[in-house]
Amino acid sequence: MIFDEKTLRKLHRLTLVATQVRAGMIKGERRSTKRGTSVEFADYRDYAPGDDLRRLDWNVYARLERPFIKLMEEEEDLAVHLLVDGSRSMDWGAGELNKLSFALRLAGALGSIGLSAGDRLSAAFLQAPGEAAARAATVYGPSRGPAALTRYLEYLQAQRAGGITDLNRSLRDYSLGGRRAGLAFLISDLFAPGGYEEGCRRLQGRGYEMAIIHVLSPDEIDPPLAGDLRLVDVETGETQEVSLDGGLRDLYRQRVEAWQAEIETYCRKHNIRYLPVRTDTPWERVILQDMRKASIVR
Amino acid sequence: MNLLTPLSLLFGLLAVPIVVMYMLKLRRKEVEVSSSLLWQMVLRDRQANAPWQRLRRNLLLFLQLTILALVVVGLARPAIPTPSVAAGAVIVLIDGSASMNATDAAPTRFEAAVAAARRLVEAMTPDSQMTVIVAGTRPQVLASAESERAALGEALSSARADQGPADWQAAFALASGAAAGGTAGQDATIVIISDGGLPDEGLPPLPGEVRYVPVGETGENLAISALAVRAAGSGAELFARVDNYGGAAIPAILSFYADETLIRSQEIDVPPGESESIVLPGLPGGEAVYRASLEAAGGRDEPLDAFGLDDHAFTVYQPAGDRRVLLITAAEGGNIFLEQVLAAMPGVTPYRAVRGADGSVTIPEDPFDVYIFDGETPAELPEGDLLLINPGDNPLFAASGVFTDTGGIRVVDSPITRFAELADMQVRQAKRVDLPDWGAALVEAEGGVLLFAGETGGRRVAVMPFDLHDSDLPLLYAFPVLMANLMEYLAPAQAFEAGAGLQPGDPLVIRPDPAVREVAVAAPDQQVYSAAPGEQGVLFSDTGILGLYAVNYISAETQWAEYFAVNLFNPGESDIEPAAEVKVGRAAIAPGTEDRLGQREFWPWLALAGLIVLVIEWLVYHRRQTIGGLVERLARRGAER
Repeated sequence: MIFDEKTLRKLHRLTLVATQVRAGMIKGERRSTKRGTSVEFADYRDYAPGDDLRRLDWNVYARLERPFIKLMEEEEDLAVHLLVDGSRSMDWGAGELNKLSFALRLAGALGSIGLSAGDRLSAAFLQAPGEAAARAATVYGPSRGPAALTRYLEYLQAQRAGGITDLNRSLRDYSLGGRRAGLAFLISDLFAPGGYEEGCRRLQGRGYEMAIIHVLSPDEIDPPLAGDLRLVDVETGETQEVSLDGGLRDLYRQRVEAWQAEIETYCRKHNIRYLPVRTDTPWERVILQDMRKASIVR
Repeated sequence: MNLLTPLSLLFGLLAVPIVVMYMLKLRRKEVEVSSSLLWQMVLRDRQANAPWQRLRRNLLLFLQLTILALVVVGLARPAIPTPSVAAGAVIVLIDGSASMNATDAAPTRFEAAVAAARRLVEAMTPDSQMTVIVAGTRPQVLASAESERAALGEALSSARADQGPADWQAAFALASGAAAGGTAGQDATIVIISDGGLPDEGLPPLPGEVRYVPVGETGENLAISALAVRAAGSGAELFARVDNYGGAAIPAILSFYADETLIRSQEIDVPPGESESIVLPGLPGGEAVYRASLEAAGGRDEPLDAFGLDDHAFTVYQPAGDRRVLLITAAEGGNIFLEQVLAAMPGVTPYRAVRGADGSVTIPEDPFDVYIFDGETPAELPEGDLLLINPGDNPLFAASGVFTDTGGIRVVDSPITRFAELADMQVRQAKRVDLPDWGAALVEAEGGVLLFAGETGGRRVAVMPFDLHDSDLPLLYAFPVLMANLMEYLAPAQAFEAGAGLQPGDPLVIRPDPAVREVAVAAPDQQVYSAAPGEQGVLFSDTGILGLYAVNYISAETQWAEYFAVNLFNPGESDIEPAAEVKVGRAAIAPGTEDRLGQREFWPWLALAGLIVLVIEWLVYHRRQTIGGLVERLARRGAER
């Protein structure tokens, strides 16, 4: 989980693209009436190289000898929420192909980008309530600045998958958490019997802008199975009897494609960015190329 | 088809556990997956194609059951019985005797036998050779050590049955020769295809393995077993006998024809195994051809029995024609004994040579049938048959001295001495004759021959080397009988002797009148055989067909015909009951039992079929697309377009 220096530097150059929502400007209600003239001071943030020096609060600098940038309301920093699916099904795949590791890496990368850009980072490890209670805090942040990265990465590393996914509920619970809405990344395999649509709607309803990173391992896309089998769901324990032959495998592959197509259609309709990734893809490529292509990073 | 090891079919019970296994839930391997969500989706999609799935599973079950069935049937060793023959030299003896013409095996027993022989040809291994012999009246080799099936087929097509008894001795000799001539070291197999009409005794053993293939089914047969016409009083009398060789009564109608005119028709019902004799008296005394025919009581269209060759018979009645006999006697007043007996003989017109004034006798130029020289023998003997009584020197034989020891008379049975009681004859003295090569002694005494006869120089000669006055012969009852026999011998009423009819294959010597230039014999099948008579006459041997033969004599000025009949008066052939076994040498050969017949097994074909089905099953199980999957892809592709 340790990112090497070179990668971290690369990450820093990326900035998160947030096209729509800024803090305070939520669709529909509470539209700010302020039109540029009386700009209210909202918050400080650490100075990062490249920031506009006119925004530097010299008084604070003088007092504290540390540069801080004044943020106006409309310039309030982006809240980035990294929601990682923590259900049992995520702990699938061997070694580098493990979905959870991959997801946490992605979450780490995204978090690193956000922290570098001065964004306000929150993260949550979505699990069933029972599981959550048994674990350490599954919500992280909000935190800001590169200094928080280490703690963030530690948080990520401490997460363990378990329990049954109920994405809708987890997302709903998160949306009700009273946080500042922002850009929410859902990193999940979307193996949720109840679906995910309702949860996404809730989040969006709260003003979140959503991106779904759909993580699957190669053997979930093209299972290396054959013969007469009883499939046991590691998450739910349900069994399914199949007699696998070439034909059925083809059907499965086609089903996966169709499923992802369905998700993509839904996401497009609801302004959710969608990126399907495979765990056998190098994660840098996911961040540096695939996400750029999907306009999630710039 | 039959199964050689039918118990192996019990292996078919293995089908039960196979089916049970398919019906029970299959043991499935448990495999963990991250989520069964997608699998459930897939299987829901697939529900629409459930029939294909079931079909596929049933297809595998069906294929496996098929393989099991093929293996089980193969283990049971199914086989088609073929009269297969051991490889090597095969000799087929087909019975060609008259009884093989019976129609109880369609179309005839002989055809059935040929068909059996054809089956043997079919079952031949490529390195075998077959010899085909038809055992008829004169056995024939149709094919010799032949391995080409086509040639054997042609040979069999040319086989024909005869109408007479088979010469099994000759046929066996041919078979032995063929067996011995085969490839060294190979045991020959001899197959006799017959209705079993082989003689019980007397046949030599055959080398190699002998098999008997029987043909024929029934023994029911009604036959005319005798037909003859003889002179009776001033006319003639017909005698016929009908035998029932079968085990059931066969009511029939017996009809008699004289020169093809119906003279008598009566119902006849001979009990099985018995015979009935019929006599028709009061027939006219002239020449006629008589025919007797048996028909079914139901009418002409119905067959009487399965064997028709013995349902007809012919006999030719030829009363003795007038024979011109010239008597040249040395005695002054003639020989009253000879003259009287000749005058009283029917069918003989005697003439006496007249002595000239100088005492010499001039033999008339006209031909006579018989010249009787009594006591005197001319230097030049005339053409014609001769009776020499008390002859002098003559070119035909030598005589030296006389003998008086005339006791102990021995009479040799012959047509000349038949019915003549000569044993008590007394002869005072007789000339001692050197019996010539051509002569056969017929009456012998201790001192020498008293009567001999034979053929020489194209004529028949009979010699009594004693003076009739020196014996009591003219006073015996035997004298006219002997004289009649001598006349019959020397000048037969017919040019040939076929009074009682011939058996098929019997040869006939025809001694026509010297004036005859050509003899043409017409057989019942319209074949004509002609020849110019030689010194011994004409030897006619093509008497294989049953029926009436016409002998046409053609001379310079005229032609006339005589007739003879060939009949099958042969109980051995008329008894058509098929034999259960035949005797060859000392062994009795019974027809092959089932396991002695060859069996052509075809389990290798079943094994091959099973292998093919196994490959199909493997393909079905392992191929990447099932029928259902293929259909889906095609449908989807179609939808995309």
